[in-house]
Amino acid sequence: MRIEKCYFCSGPVYPGHGNMFVRNDCKVFRFCKSKCHKNFKKKRNPRKTRWTKAFRKAAGKELTVDNALEFEKRRNIPLKYQRELWGKTVEAMKKVEEIKQKRQARFIINRLKKGKLLDKEEAIVEVKKNIHLIKAPHAGKPKQMEEKMVQKLQEDVEMADNI
Amino acid sequence: MGKSKQIGNHNSDRHKNIARKWKTKRRTKDLDQIHTDMKPETATKLLHQEVDFDVTGCAQHYCLHCARYFVDMRSLKEHFKTKIHKKQLKLLREEPYTQAEAERAAGMGSYVAHKKVEVQTQPTEEEMD
Repeated sequence: MRIEKCYFCSGPVYPGHGNMFVRNDCKVFRFCKSKCHKNFKKKRNPRKTRWTKAFRKAAGKELTVDNALEFEKRRNIPLKYQRELWGKTVEAMKKVEEIKQKRQARFIINRLKKGKLLDKEEAIVEVKKNIHLIKAPHAGKPKQMEEKMVQKLQEDVEMADNI
Repeated sequence: MGKSKQIGNHNSDRHKNIARKWKTKRRTKDLDQIHTDMKPETATKLLHQEVDFDVTGCAQHYCLHCARYFVDMRSLKEHFKTKIHKKQLKLLREEPYTQAEAERAAGMGSYVAHKKVEVQTQPTEEEMD
């Protein structure tokens, strides 16, 4: 007995759950729920359906290439039961899962960092564009003008004195 | 996913009964089946079929990429110019989705990017001469 993976969404298909479609060329398709089956019947592409794992991987939303992903495999060689080996395997599985979770979480956090940067840039651009709403464009200018006039007058007076 | 905004026209009536349309007995070929059809040996077999009176056009005018039979050469050639056919070619340019890819996406192995496949409309017999 095996926990299969859904053809459409890549979710687990437990024994006795979901349904299976055998096409007339003997190819087997397993679905975890009717939603996946319906979408398959509609001939939708899982790579382009946003809620599937296949989409999330193809679009770079999740951790795609990592050594932690190489442990889970379809192993077709039966092993004789050994208590010690079984115990060790379970321990290893727990550890691998822990590492995987950590790496996936880190990947997502790093991915979201870019959005924060972009948000900041956008905010700066918006402030620069709409600064006139807060501060009048010629605010503070009259004072400068006045100072300039005074300076010029003084210069004129000095010139007149020289003559 | 792009869906057309148009909801109704005179032709939309035939889409009314969706359940009937998706019945297993009415299934058309899947993209991965067409990909296997496109391999040279099967392609030549499909394009040069024996006369079968039960099939449209006696199975003499077959569009490989849309998996459809046509009545005569003229309608087949007309079909090559249609949007349906061109859209199908576009869909076929991607490598087909497989169970292996689903399993890889589920965490059994690393992601492998899908490849592009070159697909072109089949040459008609007149062009081949």
